[in-house]
Amino acid sequence: MLSETSEAIVLEQVGKRYLLNLHKPDSLKTALLHLPSVLNGRQRWPFWALDDISLTIRKGESVGIIGPNGSGKSTLLRIMSRIAPATRGKVTVRGRVSALLELGSGFHPQISGRENAILNAVLLGLSLREARERMPEIVEFSELGDFIDQPMRTYSSGMYVRLGFAVAVHVRPEVLLVDEVLAVGDAEFQSKCFAHIEKLRAENVTIVLVSHDLWSVARFCDRVVLMMQGRVAMDGAPQLVIHEYLSRIALLTSLPTPLPSGAPEI
Amino acid sequence: MRVIALRELRRTWELLLLLTFRDLKLRYQDTALGFVWSLLKPLLLGGVLYLALKRIARFDIPDYHLFLLSALFPWTWFSASVMLATPSFAHNGNLIKKVRFPRFVLPFSVVANNMVHFLLSIPILFLFILASGGRPSPVWLVGIPLLTLIQLGLLMGIVLLLASLDVFFRDLEHLTEVFLNLWFYVTPILYPLEWTGRLKPLFLLNPMSPLIEAWRNLFIHNTLPGPELWASIAFLAAAAALGAGAFRRLEGSFADAL
Repeated sequence: MLSETSEAIVLEQVGKRYLLNLHKPDSLKTALLHLPSVLNGRQRWPFWALDDISLTIRKGESVGIIGPNGSGKSTLLRIMSRIAPATRGKVTVRGRVSALLELGSGFHPQISGRENAILNAVLLGLSLREARERMPEIVEFSELGDFIDQPMRTYSSGMYVRLGFAVAVHVRPEVLLVDEVLAVGDAEFQSKCFAHIEKLRAENVTIVLVSHDLWSVARFCDRVVLMMQGRVAMDGAPQLVIHEYLSRIALLTSLPTPLPSGAPEI
Repeated sequence: MRVIALRELRRTWELLLLLTFRDLKLRYQDTALGFVWSLLKPLLLGGVLYLALKRIARFDIPDYHLFLLSALFPWTWFSASVMLATPSFAHNGNLIKKVRFPRFVLPFSVVANNMVHFLLSIPILFLFILASGGRPSPVWLVGIPLLTLIQLGLLMGIVLLLASLDVFFRDLEHLTEVFLNLWFYVTPILYPLEWTGRLKPLFLLNPMSPLIEAWRNLFIHNTLPGPELWASIAFLAAAAALGAGAFRRLEGSFADAL
């Protein structure tokens, strides 16, 4: 059986190419005008957002993905969650996957928080019954109280993300892919989110976390992957990889190294 | 593996229901007349057409109001679905790029939503027919589900095709809108199919022609569809094949194209 193996995610020589259009044929007129070039693809400029990525993530592992903007981190998550296909290579993901690329996807302002939460939970992978069963926990976690039955247009942005996060963490996946969504709410809610992530880790959920927040990456991850220009630049223990990243940044911007000696943990 | 597939199938169905009910609720939320608008729109159109064609142009068709309404209600389901479902992938780019879910629920929920409005308009038609001295028969109990299923299948194929293509050619949603207006006049809604004379074979190439005729025969003459049933089923099969083919081929690139 596949599920007996200890690998949760295996990427083998994965590449992702985007064709950037010189003449953007996103309308019929431009497409017709440039039909020959659109068909043979000559006017399109290939851009490899990911190039030759091989990566194995074991079940229960927490892996952080760091790197500068445009280095392919989010594309990598999209490939792992199968939202977009890889152009080259092989992607294997085992277990129930939940991708948190955005909080509250599909929330509609005109209907209540409760209705939105149920729809969102089913979108993210629960059955309707599971979603209903978990509603009390979700409401409690979100700290929305009676507001849960009010239309979401009455919510503050903080309430909005709190509900989004509450639904997301109650989907209970076997593989959780998170893209920069942990920095929500006030300090108190954040620590609650972090505590919840810790709990998932203890329950042996595989977690892949994309973040610019190196502190939380260092805190939550067993292993960190540094992405640079669509390639894996380094893969290893959090301290080492984060240190490498920071010194590369320091080199690039020719700033003095941003790590004062004796900095905690990192 | 089979357990997972079943679970996914069920979740897809639940997602479709949730989206459909949400949109039903949203459609006329905060309007004074609410759902009545769904009936009022085809009724008002029917009233104006009756005035123009029966009173002024003097169409020689008995019970012309029934003739019109029995075609207008299913046509409204059809055209509203096609128009609103065509941009349903393109306008939900954010969802498609951020969440992995069976994407076809987006156009299908639009079709289902408009189907509910159509089904709820049938009692109005029933009352009109009674008021004009007609006698709806139990044949309706067979005919309505049958024709509803055929039109549903036809619509699912068409909207899947158009919505998939619209992701890459956004002009399609405008083209569809224009085309639907023209389509209305080349479908036997205002006039019977017989009036088309020598052009009749041409009119029969229109997938909505046999279906509209079948609806009308059911509602007015209490007859189940004859040969037009097979024509409709053939169109359904073609639309389903095209829709499923386009969706399968293109779905993978949705997230990249939006």
